[in-house]
Amino acid sequence: MKYIPTIGIECHVQLRTKTKLFSEVDNDARGKEPNSCVSPVDYALPGMLPRLNGEAIRLAILAGRAMNCEINASSRFDRKHYFYPDSPKGYQITQFYHPIIGEGWVELPSGERVRIEHAHLEGDAGKLTHFDSYSLVDLNRVDTPLIEIVSMPDMHSAKDAHDYCKALWRLMCFAGVTYGDLYNGNMRFDVNVSIAPEGSKELGKRAEVKNLNSFRSVERAVEYEIKRQSKLLDAGEKVIQETRGWNDATGETTGQRSKEEAKDYRYMPEPDLPPINLSQEFIDAESAKLPMMPSNYRKKFAGIIADDTLEVLLDYPSLMSKLGEIDAKYAKNISNLFASVLLAEEKSAEYLNDLPTAAELSELAEMNDKKELSSTATKEVFLRLFDPQMKGRGVKNIAKELGLVQENDLGALEAIVDTVLAKPETKKAQDDFRAGEEKVIGFLVGQVMKESHGKANPSAVQEILRKKLK
Amino acid sequence: MEIKREDILHLSDLSDFSLSEEEIEKLGGDLEGIIKYISQLDELNTDNAEPTYQVFEMENVWREDEILPQDATREQLLALTKEEKDNQIKVPKVL
Repeated sequence: MKYIPTIGIECHVQLRTKTKLFSEVDNDARGKEPNSCVSPVDYALPGMLPRLNGEAIRLAILAGRAMNCEINASSRFDRKHYFYPDSPKGYQITQFYHPIIGEGWVELPSGERVRIEHAHLEGDAGKLTHFDSYSLVDLNRVDTPLIEIVSMPDMHSAKDAHDYCKALWRLMCFAGVTYGDLYNGNMRFDVNVSIAPEGSKELGKRAEVKNLNSFRSVERAVEYEIKRQSKLLDAGEKVIQETRGWNDATGETTGQRSKEEAKDYRYMPEPDLPPINLSQEFIDAESAKLPMMPSNYRKKFAGIIADDTLEVLLDYPSLMSKLGEIDAKYAKNISNLFASVLLAEEKSAEYLNDLPTAAELSELAEMNDKKELSSTATKEVFLRLFDPQMKGRGVKNIAKELGLVQENDLGALEAIVDTVLAKPETKKAQDDFRAGEEKVIGFLVGQVMKESHGKANPSAVQEILRKKLK
Repeated sequence: MEIKREDILHLSDLSDFSLSEEEIEKLGGDLEGIIKYISQLDELNTDNAEPTYQVFEMENVWREDEILPQDATREQLLALTKEEKDNQIKVPKVL
């Protein structure tokens, strides 16, 4: 039988605040010792009270606007109770009844829209490492600010799911609300998959695959679930509603503890945090800080930057923002240098954080435009702009120092051409050319280039040669 | 409201308490009493009442995003736990 899959995705995004959501402790625990970014609040010692981080509210507004969402003027926090050692409080502070972000939508490359049901602020849990007979708890991640983005079940294929996650990642990175480091779990996806016979009005029972941290694993997990559920239904069996884990090595999902289904979170309003009531002025002022989004860049560079180059560069907000600063007439040239030279470099990740200024890049493109730099020389100077020894010295100085500036002065070029033509060893080539042997012009250009120590502009040289050999 | 034996077992399961037969018996009665007491509130008509989330009438209490030095050290905090290992809190395996 043919089945139609239906997919909804919940995504947790770690916000790039300096401190945690409810305490003044360092929020960036990457590479730090376990339990070194922890305060008595995170430990949930008796009498400790949460202190809300205003920056998380500002970032939530930006995240919401990036997804075309309504921002709710009034929002609150609630306690979600559960017992697990990753949460010393015994509950998570989240926004169950009144989330800060309302309805919106995210556009896929296909042009289709996935509606956002809502998104809310909440604190992350700690990290557990399991051993044979015990587990170890690291509370560094406790109450790292998260926004959980809940989509409507608007996706119907593994590709849709992949594209949605990637689009969401780009939006969050461009909005500047997260570091977007997937490897370190900055964005994690829970994917709900169900299938129903074609034409059926009701959705099937869904399985939720938890904690996926790459677009590829989202895609593979959905593919696997569609196959698994189809097989069950074909065999006359039933899909049970459950939480499943993903194993990246085997490419399979497996059912997890069934006790979870009996969950009762006993939600209650968080009495320690007063409600958030935002004025329209505040929401507007914060929304106005939203930088250019991928869709804005697509519009801006349509017809200027090739589509495939643009798609590559749209994974790098810092490159796009730099391109946005550069005079449009040079954007194509610089976008090619970014895509084919910079990103091919081994140290490109490092370079992305310390780009040359827009003025330097424009100057470089201009020199290339005026043929003062050949395209090879342009690439070389471009890379030197990232060289700790060279950068900051100015594009012209670097080009001169490396002896890469092309001779375009026609008078000077003519003099060099004359010198070369006066040499006895070029006599035969000159005669051959006059006799109609076109290809020897290459040899003569080469001789002039040699005489000029590579600085002459080859096309100008050829032009002069042709004139003189008539 | 009658609290059945299964309700007590469900609640003890959710809260990870193990209860003796005697406690199951006793808690059932206690909970019934508590719920009966609270149920007096049902007699009030609250149709048009705004829910009260908190009673201090404060709003928009938030702080700047600045890291502050902490009084308590990792060693002090870990010392409060029953058992530690490699600077982490050691707990019985839960899953």
